Order: sequence, then structure tokens, then C-alpha cells
Amino acid sequence: MTTTHAPAPSAATAPSRLRRVAALARGELRLFLRNRTAVANSGLLPLLLVAAVPALGLDGDLPLGPQLLVAAVGVTLVFVTYYNLVITYVARREEMVLQRMRTGELTGLEVLVGTAVPTLLVTLAQVALVAVGVVVLGEWSAPVEYLLPVVALLGGALLMTVLAAASTSFTRTAESAQVTTLPLVVVTSALSGLITPLSVFPEPVALVARLMPVTPVVELLQLGLAGVTWDGDRVDAAGAWAAAPLPLAVLAGWLLIGTVAATRGFRWAPRR
Amino acid sequence: MHPSAPPVSAPVEAAPAIEVRDLRRSYGDFEAVRGISFEVQPGEVFALLGVNGAGKTSALEVLEGLAPAGGGTVRVLGADPVRERARVRPHLGVLLQSSGLPGDLTVAETLQTWAGTLTDPRPVPEALAQVQLAHRADVRVRSLSGGERRRLDLALALLGRPRVVVLDEPTTGLDPESRRQVWGLVRDLVADGAAVVLTTHHLEEAEELADRVAVLRAGQIVLSGTKEEIAETQPATLRFTLDEDAPELPRPAGVQVVAQRPRVEWHTRALQPVLAELLAWAAAHHVVLRALEARSASLEQAFLAVAAEASSPST
Repeated sequence: MTTTHAPAPSAATAPSRLRRVAALARGELRLFLRNRTAVANSGLLPLLLVAAVPALGLDGDLPLGPQLLVAAVGVTLVFVTYYNLVITYVARREEMVLQRMRTGELTGLEVLVGTAVPTLLVTLAQVALVAVGVVVLGEWSAPVEYLLPVVALLGGALLMTVLAAASTSFTRTAESAQVTTLPLVVVTSALSGLITPLSVFPEPVALVARLMPVTPVVELLQLGLAGVTWDGDRVDAAGAWAAAPLPLAVLAGWLLIGTVAATRGFRWAPRR
Repeated sequence: MHPSAPPVSAPVEAAPAIEVRDLRRSYGDFEAVRGISFEVQPGEVFALLGVNGAGKTSALEVLEGLAPAGGGTVRVLGADPVRERARVRPHLGVLLQSSGLPGDLTVAETLQTWAGTLTDPRPVPEALAQVQLAHRADVRVRSLSGGERRRLDLALALLGRPRVVVLDEPTTGLDPESRRQVWGLVRDLVADGAAVVLTTHHLEEAEELADRVAVLRAGQIVLSGTKEEIAETQPATLRFTLDEDAPELPRPAGVQVVAQRPRVEWHTRALQPVLAELLAWAAAHHVVLRALEARSASLEQAFLAVAAEASSPST
């Protein structure tokens, strides 16, 4: 007779999901801090934004303070979170680092989150730096509604992470990310309301633009920070919430699409 | 066994640490693994041999829980390594055939990071000493030699005190001394009761470490058993040098003459009786068999025979 028994729980306690992610994130953060160019660039981008946005006068519907913050969140999410994460995930995949990590107790999701932590921290730090810059310039004004910008920032960061993971399925090398990330970057630049207000577009074009992935983030930021709707109307806190369902739904929809695409298309090892 | 290893109830017969039944795996239309079965007991080394592309790594990836089986079943310590991942992983150590590590962390930082994700990690200094990397603890990974990186990889695989260890070509790129150190490590693991599956291109390594061997060809196991059983599938060799004026040689039954005098080579599956008959003939005729060699078939011979069959046009 043969008895087969599943592995009994070890006498030692398994680390929690959070502890495993934190352990990996510490290593990733150490790697980031050793990359002087990346650290310097992370500090320079907010300074550049604070200097450039007032000079360009990008969005006529918003006062300068909110305008700077909206630009900071939008640009950082696309160019730092999304772009950097596509490159990081692809480079780690091609170097077989991701596959190596999956051989331990870390789950796939934990590997992706732990790897993304430094980038997400840089995103938050850059937005915070721009906020400090806005205060220093004397352009700070109290948000119309506090929760909407927070939802926009966190939801946007999550969306960019998920879309970055999904984009790796059609990005063979870290170098080719310069091309494969273009659709999101171009669409964001042209149609998110970040550079050109949606109110200047014909209504059908504006409606399509509002369904793009970064647009709801910009819309929610504008509503929360300045009480300005996509078509330039001024609203109070109640009006901001009344205008929020569509961008919230679009953001949730893109999160769902991105998650499904990432789950189906993400590869942990180079194609053989 | 390590003190923190879970208590194991005494089974009537030892349960296999690994059970593979009719495993299949395909890439599109290409079937890389075509119904292989084997078991590995605790305290046993099982070697999976085969030429490149035979399906070894594809099979191991299922064992490691990195890919689902296309068919058949795999159990590691009685659990499915993909569906019951969380139960298997704390007990499984994996050394991939090739894998990367971030180059800008030091050796010690790499181990510390990995240790933070494990249930019951060894202390980092112990892990470093285990693979003779203590003196390189503060060196960045990108500055390590290929062999040192391989040893660091091995340290990571063994950091969680695994009960089942999968080693995919563990000594590739190592110098002979490092290779022998790794062999010593594997023997220690087995002495502690771990089950080890290894693939290797070094047949000497399989001869040295494996209790049982399976030879894969085109996704199927074509030979399996102990090293001795596998070697017995091939004929033994008798070689000796004979003077031109020596009397005519006997022709024992079952002997295949591969080379004629002066350097005679016979192949036979009955080495002992053939050798006895030859020696009796030599004694009776006062013939000296110079440079006499009598050798059972080796694992390498069996492997090469299988490889030759694979590359012959008829297969």
C-alpha cells in the first residue's frame, strides 16, 4: 500500500503576500537608487513641468495651479509609469529574471507588483514635487472635491501598470518599446485633454476622446481640482460628482480590458 | 532532516515525492512531451537525459509549476504544482537551465531579497558558505564569473530548504572543481531526504549522482532504470592484442567481432562466460592476450546508442 500525502504546512509561518511584495520591492528600490541617471531624471521631470506648463499655457479652461497638477499626473502616468514599466517588464522577461522569480513562493501578481513599486513611488513623488512647486509659485487653490483627484491618481497608476503588462505581449525587446508604446502616448497627447482641451473638438470627436484610456484620469482631475467639466463648464463639488460617472465607468472599463489582456497575453519568458 | 521540516506520518510504503503519469505538453501542433511517466522517491536522485530538444526542460517546467500539463498528471508531494501552487512552493527548489538576476545587487543582497519571500529560508551566511561564495558576498552580480553566477543560482534554489529539488543542467559552465562541489551539495541534499530531479549533458554527472535514469527521445522515455539496468541494454566490450602467428581464436556464442587481430575487439551481452572461454583458450594455447580490457557497457554508450538511433534516417 502506498500513502500519498500533500505537503503538510511547514512549522515556519509563510510570509504574507504583503511581506513578500515588500521584500521584492526593497530589492527593486535598491536597484533604482543605484541607477543615478534614472534618479536624476526622476527629479528633473517635475522641475521641467513646473517651468514649461505656464510658458506653454496648455489648457485655457483651468487656472495655473490645477493645470500644472493635471499635466504632472497625466505626463507622469504615461511617460514614467506606463513607458518605464513596459521597458522594465520586457527587459526582465528577456533576461529571464521574471521566470526566475516565479520559481519561488512569489506569485505572478506579486512579482509584477513588487517590480513596479519603485516606478509607482517615483510617480507619486513627482506629483508631490509638482504640488510643492505649485505652492511655491503661489498658485495653490483648494480642490473642489478631494476624493476625485485621489481616485484619478491611484486608478490611473493602476491602469498604467495593467496596460504596461498587457503591452509586453507585443513588445519583443526593451528597445522596441519605443515603438510599441507610441499608440498610447500619441492618443494621450492628442485626445486625452491633457494638451488640447476636449471642448475645442467637435462633439462626436470629443465623445470618442472621452472613451480613451487616459482621458477619464484627466477629466476626474479637472473635476476634482478645479471643478471644470470636459466641455469647460464650472461646477461645485456636487456638480463634480454628477459629472464623474462616465469617466469613472470608462476608467473601470479600461482597467477590466487591461487586466484581461495582461492575464491572457503576458509572457514570463522569452519566446522560444 | 532539517528541524523545521514538517512531520511526516510513517507510510506503509514510502510515498513518492514526485509522480508523473502520462505527461504531455505541446507548443501549437508540436508535441514536445509525449506521454512520459516516472516517480521519484524521497532521498533519491532521478536523472532525465536526452539530446537538445528531447523534451527535458518542457517536462521539468510542468514539474516546477511554471506551465500546465497538456495531458496526464503531475504530483509533487501529492499536490498539483500548478493548481496547488501555494502548498507545493515552500517545499520546492528550482534551478532553471538559464535564468537572470539583477546585475546591480550584490550577492548577499540578492539572497536577502529572495529570503524575504520564503517561508523558512536558511540564514544568508549559511547559504553563501554552502556554495563557496562567502568571499564574494559584497560583489555585484554583474561582476561574477559564469560559474559563480551558477552557484548563486543554486544557492537561491536551495535557500528555502526544499524537500523536492529540480536541477536543470546544474553544472553547465562550472569548472571541474566547482562541479564536484555541486555534486557534494546534491549528495548532502539527498542524505537529508530530499528528492532530486536533474537533467544534464554530462553523462559522468548522471553516473556519479543518479540512482535512476530515464533517457528521453522526441518527447518519449525510450530507456529507464538504474544506471546498471540501462548500461545492460548495450553489449560489453572485450579488447586485446594478439600476435599474427597465434592460433585461430575461438568464436564463443553471441560474440560480435568488431575488429580483427592484431587489436581484436568483441562485443557481447555475456561478458563473464565469453571472457572465461577466452582465458581458458589462451591458457590452453599458451597465448598471451596483451593489453586485455574487459568492460561492461557504460551509461554513455547506452545514451549514444539512443542518440544515434534518433539521428539515423530510419527514425
